[in-house]
Amino acid sequence: MATTTLSPRAEQYQRSWVLDWLTTVDHKKIGIMYIVNSFLFFFAAGILALAIRSELAVPGLQFMDETTYNEAFTMHGTIMIFLFIVPVLAGFGNYIVPLMIGAPDMAFPRINALSFWLLPLGGILIFSGYLFGGAAAEGWTGYTPLSGPTYAPGAGTDLWIIGLITVGTASILGAINFIATIFKMRAPGMTLFRMPIFVWTILVTATLILLATPVLTAGLIALFIDRNYGGSFFDPAAGGNPILWQHIFWFFGHPEVYIVILPAMGVVSEILPVFSRKPLFGYRAFVYATIGIGLLSFSVWAHHMFTTGVVFLPFFAFMTAMIGVPTGVKMFNWLATMWRGSISLTTPMLFAIGFVAMFLIGGISGVMAAAAPVDFHLQDTYFIVAHLHYVFFGGSVFGVFAAAYFWFPKMTGRRLNERLGKVHFWIHFIGFNLTFFPMHSLGITGMPRRIADYDPTNTGWIILNSLETVGAFLIAISIFPFLINVIATLINGERVGDDPWEANTLEWATSSPPPPHNFDRLPPVRSERPVFDLRHRHDAEVLTAEGLTAEGGH
Amino acid sequence: MAVQASTAPAVVEHRQSGMPTPLVGMLLFIASEVMFFGGLFAAYFNSRATHAAEWGPPGGHELEAWPLATILTILLVTSSVTMQFGVAAIRRGDQGRLRMWVGLTLILGVLFLLGQLYDYSQLGFGISDGIFATTFYTLTGFHGAHVFGGAVGLTILTARAMSGQFTARNHVAVEAISMYWHFVDVVWIGLFFTLYFLR
Amino acid sequence: MRRMAVPHSLRGVLRVGVPLLLMVLLGGCLIPPEPETKESQAVFTLYNVIFAMAVVVFLAVEGMIVWSIFRYRRKDDRLPHQLHGNTLVEIIWTVIPTVIVLTIFAGSMITLGTVEARSPHPAVTIEVDGFQWNWTFRYGTTDNDPSNDYSITGTPAKPAVMGLPVGEPVHLILKSNDVIHSFFVPHFLIKRDVVPFPDPNHHNELEFTVTNPGTYAGQCAEFCGTAHAQMVFQIQAMSRSDYDTWLKDQISGAAKPSATAAPNAQVVKISADKLKFSTDRLEVPAGVPFVIEFENKEAVQHNIAITDEGGKELFRGDIIQGPQTVKYNVPALDAGEYTFLCDVHPTIMFGTVVAK
Ligand code: HEA
Ligand code: HEA
Ligand code: CUA
Ligand SMILES: [Cu+2]
Repeated sequence: MATTTLSPRAEQYQRSWVLDWLTTVDHKKIGIMYIVNSFLFFFAAGILALAIRSELAVPGLQFMDETTYNEAFTMHGTIMIFLFIVPVLAGFGNYIVPLMIGAPDMAFPRINALSFWLLPLGGILIFSGYLFGGAAAEGWTGYTPLSGPTYAPGAGTDLWIIGLITVGTASILGAINFIATIFKMRAPGMTLFRMPIFVWTILVTATLILLATPVLTAGLIALFIDRNYGGSFFDPAAGGNPILWQHIFWFFGHPEVYIVILPAMGVVSEILPVFSRKPLFGYRAFVYATIGIGLLSFSVWAHHMFTTGVVFLPFFAFMTAMIGVPTGVKMFNWLATMWRGSISLTTPMLFAIGFVAMFLIGGISGVMAAAAPVDFHLQDTYFIVAHLHYVFFGGSVFGVFAAAYFWFPKMTGRRLNERLGKVHFWIHFIGFNLTFFPMHSLGITGMPRRIADYDPTNTGWIILNSLETVGAFLIAISIFPFLINVIATLINGERVGDDPWEANTLEWATSSPPPPHNFDRLPPVRSERPVFDLRHRHDAEVLTAEGLTAEGGH
Repeated sequence: MAVQASTAPAVVEHRQSGMPTPLVGMLLFIASEVMFFGGLFAAYFNSRATHAAEWGPPGGHELEAWPLATILTILLVTSSVTMQFGVAAIRRGDQGRLRMWVGLTLILGVLFLLGQLYDYSQLGFGISDGIFATTFYTLTGFHGAHVFGGAVGLTILTARAMSGQFTARNHVAVEAISMYWHFVDVVWIGLFFTLYFLR
Repeated sequence: MRRMAVPHSLRGVLRVGVPLLLMVLLGGCLIPPEPETKESQAVFTLYNVIFAMAVVVFLAVEGMIVWSIFRYRRKDDRLPHQLHGNTLVEIIWTVIPTVIVLTIFAGSMITLGTVEARSPHPAVTIEVDGFQWNWTFRYGTTDNDPSNDYSITGTPAKPAVMGLPVGEPVHLILKSNDVIHSFFVPHFLIKRDVVPFPDPNHHNELEFTVTNPGTYAGQCAEFCGTAHAQMVFQIQAMSRSDYDTWLKDQISGAAKPSATAAPNAQVVKISADKLKFSTDRLEVPAGVPFVIEFENKEAVQHNIAITDEGGKELFRGDIIQGPQTVKYNVPALDAGEYTFLCDVHPTIMFGTVVAK
């Protein structure tokens, strides 16, 4: 992205701006690097998705053989999750969290830089399988014994393992940094229950990363030992238990899905109040629901293993269903925030509402899959593919775009063009539903996932699959208005001042873009909306509603 | 609605109360390590449960708690104590004692590692000899790697103590390494009982 | 910001309504296939109940979103009432989902009881072997009577067929020796993973009672490597008497002795290991029967079949699981070039036969 506008007054620096960015420990620059890097991986994984969709448009093998197809969806899933959606949210967190809590930087700036730089390294390792006899092709879940030495002898899977360990280490370090920052670097007055919801979600997310990712690391190391040193953790022929891998993977994997949704929920919880001009309804309930989801997420992992025949179904079915309750609380809090508000449909707001509307569908399909006997039918079909894209794409990715449109003025001082933004949103929204909604139907009628070819006699499937392919290309097309918008705005965008949205939280109290040390002066923090309070500090009625007096303090 | 009209003073100072930030970082890191070893232990117990009948080293070899493993345990536990003496010393500002205790801890740690290597050479089975062997070497190996990491930390600590970098008020690194060292010790105690006594 | 309200909301209705309509149309049928077993009827009912609840929740929430967007659009600069929360409504909307979710859970557990029920004396017990990348169905392996044994291994060209009697409980034993597969029949609304457990005596099981005669497609649902997509099979459910004749026919058909070769017939050797033949070219005598000595060196199933240019099958050897060596007696071939292949792995294991 246009580094020229972003680096503060380049002439002050002797070093070239390239070196400046490469060696920076400033959380804002690191945040932007996170975001740019993640988007590059998004495009790579998205192009793989287009390849998948092209192959599936009609039955038969047209563009690739089966191995290439298997590599494609494995890389697509792995890259989307580990190198796009997790890091991009961490990137926004990196940029915004210190600003939101009134801190000058993250707690450990150099570790922050390290955790960023491990990401492209890990990503390249994972992709480099393509250069060494074929990338990993066992699905992003890498089930054993398929991913063991006997059935996947290639170097691609080893690179996949090492790459994931690298990326995992990056997120663990990042998580430590976030938690330490949030606990130790808050500005005076910024008590825990005055923190913006986004900060809360990042805090819970970081805790999940801290506790879940090391378990995946342990599993990956065990798999590596099996593959390279003759170990037998997961090899049934040598007494190992292949199901053990699934337990380890999903013990990590399920918290992982909340790792990618919670920050997006945080983004939405910042945006909806701003464009409804109301406070978030039920702030405390929202915080408790977030914590509740975090706790529950460690006790539901085996809902991915309902059909293995070896898990205790009642417990996991119960816990899984229960997780819908705190999520529902959030859902209704968002609705109540918009209710009787004063809603303006800006692009970030559109994406935020899109999140609420689309995540709902993904959540409902999740609860349907939580009914164990129903999951016996749905597991490993396109219904699950539909579910996971409604939560990942309809949820997290909509959240990411909402965040991008919302905080772009903060990062650059310029607002993205609203007209182009709306074009982006609508093509995106329609393309998304066209791609993924029919997948529910495919899955229910029995189309398994992860197949390169399907029954050529089933015309229903062919029609739906072709439509989905059209939808996928619509999504791809919608990316272009976005990219054009970003570039055009960086070059010649409308300068909109420090607080263009009339927002609530501390990051809007400093200049746009913020100075290297973030704040020249901090407003007093007496509620979860310090900038709102500041804007309305002479407005007695509002202050009373906030529980504050005009003099300040309680 | 100009927010810039803020009249509040620029209070960008942050509270220094409570635990120093680097220690918070170390605690969090240890939490992640607990989960890492938790994963490996879970793998151990799961494998064990699927092989309840024939659990143990392959081919008639025996895993003896006495003498080597017990001695190693004593070494490591002692090293935790000496480490704590070092911390106590620098809290009083006693740089000389700090050097002595940290150095001693380092020596004990290295002895532990050497002992473990010797133990490996005597066992008579390798990592690829079945599921017990795999879990055994993975668990003890990764623990050993952590001891090694701790020893590297202790070496740096000793060097810095030699050049008098720590004082009663400024010794966060000593506290941090000691936390880590105690953690590694606790993991070993868990391993010792799991591997040698839980029959 | 001050536009006329009517055209505004009309445009909005189109904006939201059209995609919604499209979605409903595209969703097409969100109802599972006709359930064809006793167990799946319970699942079908459960699914429909849950689906109905889902539709209600969906419409209620999406409705509120759409309503809010239109009703509460910003009209002026006034700040709306700053409402921070309301404990009562928050309790209500915690309790209602809890009740829904508990209902779903209770329904699931009742249905689970039906699906997992086991009868003491299933009418038919079939051993289902999943392997990379096909299925073998073995009948009659649980008794000591070899005369009723019958086994069939599917090939991509000719998927395995599982014949079943209707109205009687059928018991499946699911075995794998390589990776995890999953036995999935959409019309039975069920799948169960076929797992290579470390304990050789531990297998997953599945039991159901088919209610209607018919042919039902099945497929491996757990990703199991390259040709996962080709692991299809078929279920043929028929009346008891039809089933008995079917099984008898299959047993006698399978046991048909192949023509004995002349004692001095030429022997051609070939072996298979790691999903590869030892050669991709076999030279055989033209015009006389010959013998192929085939050594399968691995635990994977293979065979040798010979086809002509047009793909017509001229010879098909029994599929065997290694390590094992068999002698195939092949009838005479005219001089020319043919293709030999493994029926189980036709896309990766093939070569040329030259008869001269
Ligand atoms: C961001 C990621 C994300 C999120 C948030 C979720 C959320 C949920 N998921 Fe999902 N899930 C995935 C990502 C995610 N999932 C992925 C990637 C897979 C596939 C992995 C693979 O195999 O590759 C998967 C698979 C998956 C399965 C396994 C399917 C299978 O393989 O057979 C199940 C089964 O129970 C499940 C359940 C749920 C549930 C109950 C929720 C709940 O948290 C949803 C809660 C939300 C709501 C319910 C909506 C809002 C609530 C209300 C409006 C209140 C009223 C509602 C009710 C009373 C129901 N998910
Ligand atoms: C965050 C997660 C995420 C996201 C965003 C997506 C996005 C998409 N996914 Fe995927 N997907 C997964 C996570 C995700 N996916 C996972 C976890 C799986 C399971 C994998 C497994 O089974 O192991 C999966 C599986 C999966 C399948 C099933 C494969 C199978 O089972 O056989 C399909 C099939 O259609 C699919 C399609 C798509 C499509 C069309 C998009 C689109 O929305 C993509 C849109 C993006 C683009 C089209 C890129 C745009 C870029 C450009 C236009 C180029 C511009 C470039 C420059 C200027 C340089 N995905
Ligand atoms: Cu067997 Cu997929
Ligand atoms: Cu899950």
